[in-house]
Amino acid sequence: MIEVLVLLIAPLLAGGLSLVIHRSALLHAINLASMGLLVAAEIMITRTVLRDGPFTVLGGLVYLDALSAFILFIIGVVGLACSLYMRSYMDDQVARGVIAPRRLNLFFFLFHMFLLAMVIATVANSVGVQWVAIEATTLATTFLIAFWRRRESLEAGWKYLILCSVGISLALFGVVLTYYSSLQVLGDVSAALNVTQLLPVADRLNPHVLKLAFIFMLVGYGTKIGLVPMHSWLPDAYTEAPAPVAAMLAGVLEIVAVYAILRMRMIVDHAVPAAFTGGLLALLGFTSFVTAAFFILIQHNYKRLFAYSSIEHMGIAMIGFGVGGPLGTFGGLFHLLNHAFAKSMAFFAAGNIHRRFHTVEIGQVQGLAIAQPWTAMALMVAGLALSALPPFASFVSEVQVVTALAAQGIPGQWLHSSGGMVTFALSDQFSSLGFTGLFLLCAVLAFSGLLYRITGMVWGTPPEGIARGETWTLGHLPIIVLAATLVGFGFFLPQPIRQLLEEATKILLIH
Amino acid sequence: MQISPHIGSQLVDLCSALLLLTCFAIVAQRRLSACVDLFALQSAFLVLTAALVAFLTGNHHIYIAAGLTGLIKVIIIPRVLKKVIERLNVKRELVMNVNVPAGLLICGALVMLAFFITQPIIPLGFLLTRDSLAIALAIVLIGFFTMIARQKAVSQLVGFLVMENGLFLGATAATYGMPLIVELGVFFDVLIAALIAGIYTNRLQDAFDSVDTSHLTVLKE
Repeated sequence: MIEVLVLLIAPLLAGGLSLVIHRSALLHAINLASMGLLVAAEIMITRTVLRDGPFTVLGGLVYLDALSAFILFIIGVVGLACSLYMRSYMDDQVARGVIAPRRLNLFFFLFHMFLLAMVIATVANSVGVQWVAIEATTLATTFLIAFWRRRESLEAGWKYLILCSVGISLALFGVVLTYYSSLQVLGDVSAALNVTQLLPVADRLNPHVLKLAFIFMLVGYGTKIGLVPMHSWLPDAYTEAPAPVAAMLAGVLEIVAVYAILRMRMIVDHAVPAAFTGGLLALLGFTSFVTAAFFILIQHNYKRLFAYSSIEHMGIAMIGFGVGGPLGTFGGLFHLLNHAFAKSMAFFAAGNIHRRFHTVEIGQVQGLAIAQPWTAMALMVAGLALSALPPFASFVSEVQVVTALAAQGIPGQWLHSSGGMVTFALSDQFSSLGFTGLFLLCAVLAFSGLLYRITGMVWGTPPEGIARGETWTLGHLPIIVLAATLVGFGFFLPQPIRQLLEEATKILLIH
Repeated sequence: MQISPHIGSQLVDLCSALLLLTCFAIVAQRRLSACVDLFALQSAFLVLTAALVAFLTGNHHIYIAAGLTGLIKVIIIPRVLKKVIERLNVKRELVMNVNVPAGLLICGALVMLAFFITQPIIPLGFLLTRDSLAIALAIVLIGFFTMIARQKAVSQLVGFLVMENGLFLGATAATYGMPLIVELGVFFDVLIAALIAGIYTNRLQDAFDSVDTSHLTVLKE
């Protein structure tokens, strides 16, 4: 109870205080304190969930289980890392005169509102409240993306606002349809959109309505995740956003949207064969993965490179969830975690590089190992982890996903029932082999594209006029810790996290 | 006064149809300020529909939603948009990617699509207003199309607001309104979104000397 209140009040209070305090050191202190409280509350919630199972508080408004605790864990860790990184990053921007000191207030206010909206989206019991919170994340982040107020950032912010709001409106139609179906079973009660009410009666809900609702929600929240073909805002937004904001968008916001889809899927799968939702997720995931792998090859801007790599990894996670089974689901969840860590690290490194080299062109960045050794290390680790090489944890999760894919293939019933779309008849075995082959081919493409660009940036000699050497700041702490975690999780997953992942997998598998 | 369910259902359908009709008017309208007026008119029809549903069903919380719609979508948002348009001085004709007759034809096709999609699920509803679900989806799709077909930032915003009206109609007519907490949240989001978009148009004007989003082409592959 108390920990849930902390979770909601800490960002709210910190956001309010950010508006009235004008000393930058104090702003950062409040930010770190609120993130610290958030992580502490999260740990307590995880312990409760693992001990007693799912629970509701605040009169049924808040519902927490292992899956939401897992998402909260990612929000907490990545948020804390961003807060540490912001200490040196934002002060540096103020010192260089990029932003006026008093605009820090706005930055922190929006940052806390963004966090609050994500926390609400994760703990909300009602599917409707969850929608409201996810739309609120769009509204909170659009000015964060356009924070530098350059032409390009305004363009990226506007594109993000419009595309995501429209996408999300479609998801609201999905929510309305869900309510339409649940009213028929539950009657006109205000709790008819609550997960705790929907799950027990889910098998009696109307399958046609739920199918339609799921498609609307998949498209809507898929826009937020950046699944192809709804991804066009994503590379622009990630490039123009300040580095810590890009890290939050890529590391956390995408995962909250994935969570919203998974929650809906839990309900829909009771009424509709799991192959329907699984097939849709896997196919959308595959489209994103393949498209992004090719786009990675042609990028010459390192922030866009990371943006397309985000689309690629979300695609992989979606394939994992779509294929399903214990292995695929576990791999998908684990991949979300690894991607959040690796991608936030990549954007921290990108922020450091941009401050030193003043360019986002890959061709103009050379000799990072000499100019910024710590950042070069971070970039290499992030690049290797994003290419899913051993010994990094993302290697383990990607292998889990591809193993599940090879064993089970894309859920078949959906493919066969929509015979018009797949005109050539494939035997199940052959199609799963074909998909696995395509998966591995694209993985290699993305791997070579990413590593080729990154090694080009790390080695060589720095151009004239670029300072050499790197002074230690607080912003380096999260980079080192995340790098160590990414390697460590590849060998050994600590017991509480493993248990949390297993419980979350179980929740997703009960059909 | 007691109205028979059949007549009540007809009345709600009539109001929904009026909403749909204003959608077509918006698509056919070339002047930006007239588009905003039409949006306000559509919102007024929405208030009427919601109040009618509230009266017929006795669900009093729909009155709250209707009142909020009136306040936010009939008064506040149109005023904000008018202010923005005045400041931008964009009273000229709108730039359209699709001309008016073709646009109207496409909208007609979208209405048919909406009825086609919702056909299997409408008979399942037990509420007297279930037919409005198809009209609601049609309005959402037309709003979506308006956003694609128009280039000015303000008219894209009008398209978005039309979509929201369609969603609200769907929620009110098909389900007698969402739970109050959700409805309040949605209103809050729409209001903030409109205000943010208003701020954006000012900044875009300052940065590009234009709110024509076709100028937003710096970010390309």
